[in-house]
Amino acid sequence: MSGQLAKFATNRAFWRGVIAVAVFLVLWEIGARSKQWMTPEFFAPFKALLGAMGFKKDYLPWIGAVPAPSAVLKAWIAVLGQAGYWQSWYMSFFRVMGGFFAAMLIGIPFGLALAVSRVAHGIGFPTFEVLRPIPPLAWVPASIIFWPTQELAITFITFLGAFYTIVINVLGGARSIDVRYFQAAQSMGSSRWDIFRRIILPGTLPSIMVGSAVGMGITWEVVVAAEMISGGGSQQAGTGGGLGFFIWNSYVGGSYEQIVVGMISIGIAGFASSELLRWAGRYATPWLRVR
Amino acid sequence: MAATLPVVAEDDAIAVLREATPFGEASPVVLSRIAALARPARYAAGERIYTAGDAADDIFIVASGRADHVFEPEVGAREPLKRVTRGGVFGWAGLLLGQTRRLATVTAVEPTEVLRIDTEALVALLESQPQEGGQVMARFAAMIRREFAVPELLAQVRRLSGPLTEEMSSLSLTMYRLSLWLKSPRPYLMLIGFALFLGIWYLAVEVWKLPRFREMPGLTTVVKEWFSPSPTYGLSLYTEEYYKHIVVSVWRVTQAFFLATVLGVTFGLLLGWSQRFREYVFPVFEMLRPIPILAWVPLAIVMFIATESAVIYLAFLASFYATALNTMLGVQSIDESYIRAASCLGASQKQVFRHVILPGALPFIFTGLQISIGVSWFSLVAAEMVSGQYGLGYVINTSYVMVRYPTIIIGMATLGLVGYTTSALVRLAGDYLMEWRVRELALAER
Repeated sequence: MSGQLAKFATNRAFWRGVIAVAVFLVLWEIGARSKQWMTPEFFAPFKALLGAMGFKKDYLPWIGAVPAPSAVLKAWIAVLGQAGYWQSWYMSFFRVMGGFFAAMLIGIPFGLALAVSRVAHGIGFPTFEVLRPIPPLAWVPASIIFWPTQELAITFITFLGAFYTIVINVLGGARSIDVRYFQAAQSMGSSRWDIFRRIILPGTLPSIMVGSAVGMGITWEVVVAAEMISGGGSQQAGTGGGLGFFIWNSYVGGSYEQIVVGMISIGIAGFASSELLRWAGRYATPWLRVR
Repeated sequence: MAATLPVVAEDDAIAVLREATPFGEASPVVLSRIAALARPARYAAGERIYTAGDAADDIFIVASGRADHVFEPEVGAREPLKRVTRGGVFGWAGLLLGQTRRLATVTAVEPTEVLRIDTEALVALLESQPQEGGQVMARFAAMIRREFAVPELLAQVRRLSGPLTEEMSSLSLTMYRLSLWLKSPRPYLMLIGFALFLGIWYLAVEVWKLPRFREMPGLTTVVKEWFSPSPTYGLSLYTEEYYKHIVVSVWRVTQAFFLATVLGVTFGLLLGWSQRFREYVFPVFEMLRPIPILAWVPLAIVMFIATESAVIYLAFLASFYATALNTMLGVQSIDESYIRAASCLGASQKQVFRHVILPGALPFIFTGLQISIGVSWFSLVAAEMVSGQYGLGYVINTSYVMVRYPTIIIGMATLGLVGYTTSALVRLAGDYLMEWRVRELALAER
């Protein structure tokens, strides 16, 4: 462990990354505080120019409207002690997991069926391809009408987000298996089940894992928007409607620092879950590890 | 030398021709005219029929016996030796573009009877029947590639002159493919799939009225509404409003996609090309990327005064990540030795960039662009649903709020159609720009 740390400490790329992130934060801080430092008379012509270009006069365009990182950090620390914030984490996490596991449970067998049987592929794939270009979020209203609770509706949307990716990856993985494996197995007298169990399943496992990791990322994307559009689901007195609702609520309430807190929280949650899946994938497919 | 057979009945000749791949689908009239050109010949076991390098005059169709067909190495067939039996066709070199010499040596393995047809006479006959002639030539090309494992580049048959224009030959090829497709079970299974999907929708909502399905708009309601000149809920194929929404959404995606392509490709090329730039910038890029695009919605509304720019910004951001990342991967995927080779041959930095880096990264860039247009629609819809005026996402959301349920489905279906069309356009553009790669993949039979 300490060896790894030492390696980091002497790595040029690592220090360049640190510098880059630091510079980024400082620039953000300066840009966000433009409303304060642009008050002197010195900036008057610049302000006039901004106004002439159609921007707001008082601060730098775009970045000036974003809360500063220091303010975000303060808001984050304040929010860490609130039960509602953690409740949001829990709610979003719950929905993501529900949708994601449903997508795995239905998507993997569906993908394998399409890959194994020509008839299933002929019947199922065209319909699947017709539905796929419709973005999951376009389903939100229809889903709210259909499902009895908002909770189920949001989970269904997250399910859709992951489902397409997982099926496409499973199918692609099964298609890319070398035909000679099947021929070899058949000529040595394997049954259909053996071929499925010994060739198709391990052959598609890497793409199943990749598809899951990508699908997990999409799930987090979708859950946020679904929560925003549907108004947060079963929220109790404005708290605990999930992280997407947390962001939307902060926007409506005018506390812009909390918007950024929510964005970063979702970023962390999505990144952590995808990384966890990638790690599990490496663990499940040890033969792909590069030595 | 070949001993001429006394008589071979014309019917026999037609039967042999029908077993040969190129003539299998020809009409009886054309077959009998081809049979009239055929001259029977017989070879003893071990007798050489022709040698590579001879003038390519006749085409041979085997009636009985066997012959070994051995390519010269430079032809590059994957299996240089092929044994030809009844119905097999060889001696087709004369039909190829720019080929007048034999490509292979053929020896009879057993006593072998063949039909010989003069190539020029056959071509003249095919030219007089443009429709069928084109088909026979197309099947010749397919046979040379498949049965003789000859690379596609060489298997280009001569183009028939005369009344046959290029469009007609490609049309007949399309028709031939279409007829093959119609003979396979695929279109019928596809129809079953669609029928199942639409049937379940129709039955569950409108006939059986299942508990949850009852509230959904039914299939017939949606279709009636969509095609109605005076729609109940104000949106159908006949209303101007419908096209306005489509145009607004497409215009937004176009702007976002164009901006993301220009900036994303430039940024990605820089990331891949310069290690210093990558080490400084990539960490920040990777730090921002996990934040879902849709979590940006409220902040984008705050940042941009006009909601229009906020919506475009969101669609842009999604595309930008995909394009930049894939471009970078594309540059990194280029084999180092290409760059070294170019430098050794005296290429300047600029030339290396123009002739190695750019074409090398192009396949990845286009993969990125295809993902990019998809995610662009994905986030555009969300952005339009939350804020903004007009656009298909806006249609879907307001229809929900105003309880115009059939319009929701119309919006979704339109979105699917338009989204699919734009992705198909990007894919077509990619195939067009990278013809060399498509050909390479086809040669590798992938």
